[in-house]
Amino acid sequence: MDPDAVAKAFVEHYYTTFDSNRAGLANLYQESSMLTFEGQNTQGCQSIVAKLTSLPFQQCQHAITTVDCQPSGPAGGMIVFVSGNLQLTGEQHALKFSQMFHLMPTPQGSFYVLNDIFRLNYA
Amino acid sequence: MDPNAVAKAFVEHYYSTFDTNRGGLANLYQDGSMLTFEGQPFQGAQNIAAKLASLPFQQCQHAITTVDCQPSGPAGGMLVFVSGNLQLAGEQHALKFSQMFHLMPTPQGSFYVQNDIFRLNYA
Repeated sequence: MDPDAVAKAFVEHYYTTFDSNRAGLANLYQESSMLTFEGQNTQGCQSIVAKLTSLPFQQCQHAITTVDCQPSGPAGGMIVFVSGNLQLTGEQHALKFSQMFHLMPTPQGSFYVLNDIFRLNYA
Repeated sequence: MDPNAVAKAFVEHYYSTFDTNRGGLANLYQDGSMLTFEGQPFQGAQNIAAKLASLPFQQCQHAITTVDCQPSGPAGGMLVFVSGNLQLAGEQHALKFSQMFHLMPTPQGSFYVQNDIFRLNYA
């Protein structure tokens, strides 16, 4: 499978789910998954989803600017590096962000997020 | 060894070397290493070092703003996510950048860069 196509499909799925059904992100993480969100560490699917659903905004829209990907090693993992804009409803200006995902294959032929690091890019 | 301490030490070493002795970065990559620099892919220490040495500026200074790290899996790897400013000599304003490293352990107890992705963060 073409890694770029996999990365692009994952990114589209991730941010669409985030923007329309944030709790649905739970299917993308497992117990070993790690999220570092603006420097705060969280581990495990439940805790990660709790963190993401508790962010201080109801509605948001991600607009992706760049997606880079590389295979991460013999285990079949993939690193995906994203930059884009995050528009919060009611805010005049979009926030800029960078995010890194380390995807690992599942036995069913799909991917889950083992590592996730998110940072806002302040001007 | 404390992962955060390892990440911090690596980041300081990487950017000091970049800013004072760019050719010295070759020691941090191996044949299987990958760099994606502003969307352009490179593989192998030689090609990567050649790309970095050929960037269109002689002198630069990196100032690091954030460093996040997470272990990447059972092989002992570590993901390091950096954001900061890049000041080129003679330019009035610094460039903002994000960079991701996937470090893998060497038999000698150190780390090399298996994956490297660099992106400028435009305003």
